Amino acid sequence: MKVRVDGAVCQGHTLCAMTAPKLFVLRDEDGHAQAVSEEVPADQEELAREAARSCPEQAIVLF
Amino acid sequence: MTAEEDRTGDSRRTGDRISLDRHSTRYRTDFEGLSDEFHAKCPVAWNQEHGGHWFVTGNRQLFDLARRADVLSNDADVRNERRGYDGISIPAIPKERRNGMVGGFIEMDPPAQRHYRNALNPYLSPAAVARWQPVIDEITRACLDEVIETGSIDFVDDLANIVPAVLTMAMLGLPLADWGVYCEPTHASVYTPPGSPDWQRVRDLSVKMAGRLAESLRGIRDNPRPGLVNAVLTADIDGSRPDDGEALGVVQLLIGGGFDTTTALTAHSLEWLAHHPGERDRLSSQWESLRDSATEEFLRYFTPAVGDGRTISQDVEINGTRFGEGERVWLSWAMSNRDASVFDDPHTVRMDRTGNRHASFGLGIHRCIGSNVARATFKTMLRAVLDRMPDFACDPARAVHYDTTGVINGMKHLPATFTPGERLGAGLAETLTKLQRAVDEQRLAEPVTVRRERAVLDD
Repeated sequence: MKVRVDGAVCQGHTLCAMTAPKLFVLRDEDGHAQAVSEEVPADQEELAREAARSCPEQAIVLF
Repeated sequence: MTAEEDRTGDSRRTGDRISLDRHSTRYRTDFEGLSDEFHAKCPVAWNQEHGGHWFVTGNRQLFDLARRADVLSNDADVRNERRGYDGISIPAIPKERRNGMVGGFIEMDPPAQRHYRNALNPYLSPAAVARWQPVIDEITRACLDEVIETGSIDFVDDLANIVPAVLTMAMLGLPLADWGVYCEPTHASVYTPPGSPDWQRVRDLSVKMAGRLAESLRGIRDNPRPGLVNAVLTADIDGSRPDDGEALGVVQLLIGGGFDTTTALTAHSLEWLAHHPGERDRLSSQWESLRDSATEEFLRYFTPAVGDGRTISQDVEINGTRFGEGERVWLSWAMSNRDASVFDDPHTVRMDRTGNRHASFGLGIHRCIGSNVARATFKTMLRAVLDRMPDFACDPARAVHYDTTGVINGMKHLPATFTPGERLGAGLAETLTKLQRAVDEQRLAEPVTVRRERAVLDD
């Protein structure tokens, strides 16, 4: 599984980093999210799905 | 032909017409029934009240519209220099009553709106807010110490009003001791309708507050000190700096947003926990695993800021609905948060709910800029109450909810009793003096791009 955050859609709700802190980091200046790495470790896949599901802007892309 | 006549003649829409005054008792007391009805019959309805406007409650429909900054405007064109739009209030605030005032960047469109947010985000991001945690802890401790020996508290007056207010003052760069000047008029003006017996008193307090704020803004302009106020005054907005009136509107937005919403969330959540003691004990004992999901669930269920108005800025068809330029739209965050197509069992609080993509902080480019402050403050107050007043009981007969929940779903009073405990430290006044010194000496109100360290408070 791979993950990325669509920077044009993210508005900095921060729920992804709350849900899956190992997968997402928030920018200091505005709290907008980025994926730590495109590769999702096997033991983090469920959290990645939950982060995508709970994103209010649906900015998280799993592929 | 007026927009209303056009609607009347359009049979496609006759089933989608409603008549709902958001300030009515019906909206407040039949909120769940109305939500279910609208979701089933008219997730995008034409509401004939308040001058006629679209009323969007379906989660999908709201999601597809609210993020369309290309077809929505927040502009409050108070001097009729552009297209005369009315900002985010429905019913609109009459222009003659605004005295030229714009309600900050939530009543602006990009690029000015974006410039303000870029200037203020480094004060309000998660990294920025984390630096304030020792201060939030200390204000909360002092509030509880004021009442802990008595066994009784009003959660609104003694805690949930004070912590967000004092913290907001600190982040703005305003004197902490002034919090009381701002607190009462900020809350009371939300729940006191014009014409009510208390209106004149609230108005007088609001005038006093505006005077004090204008004076503080002048003071910071002359002698800059760190904080959100300074960021507003020095912001580069399309190549120029805001004038006094515009700056005042922005700071009042930050005060209004910072004070009343977190108070509303905290009061409602504590009231719910008092009436669900099993859930309260569960939250307390499983705090680490439930803290975040419970917070998001309280945000969803109680949705403090119930919605926002917009104006359609160009003709557009979305999901089969034709919106016309100039028409007004109410985005009901609160009702979309109860849509069963997204939230199972939507009218029930489930503290461990997953997939909780609620819209309580709004959606799109106007996402609540203080959301990180709200969460940190709420969690701190909740944890402290669960720790120090674990058996608190609220008397339903004495809890006072806002008469109208058309703008903010809040509470005026929430008295409670609990087994008395021991004080841990100084009272509020002494604590504020100490915190003011820390704010000044450590320049805590600088943006995170300038100062990264957490506040350090000595005993």
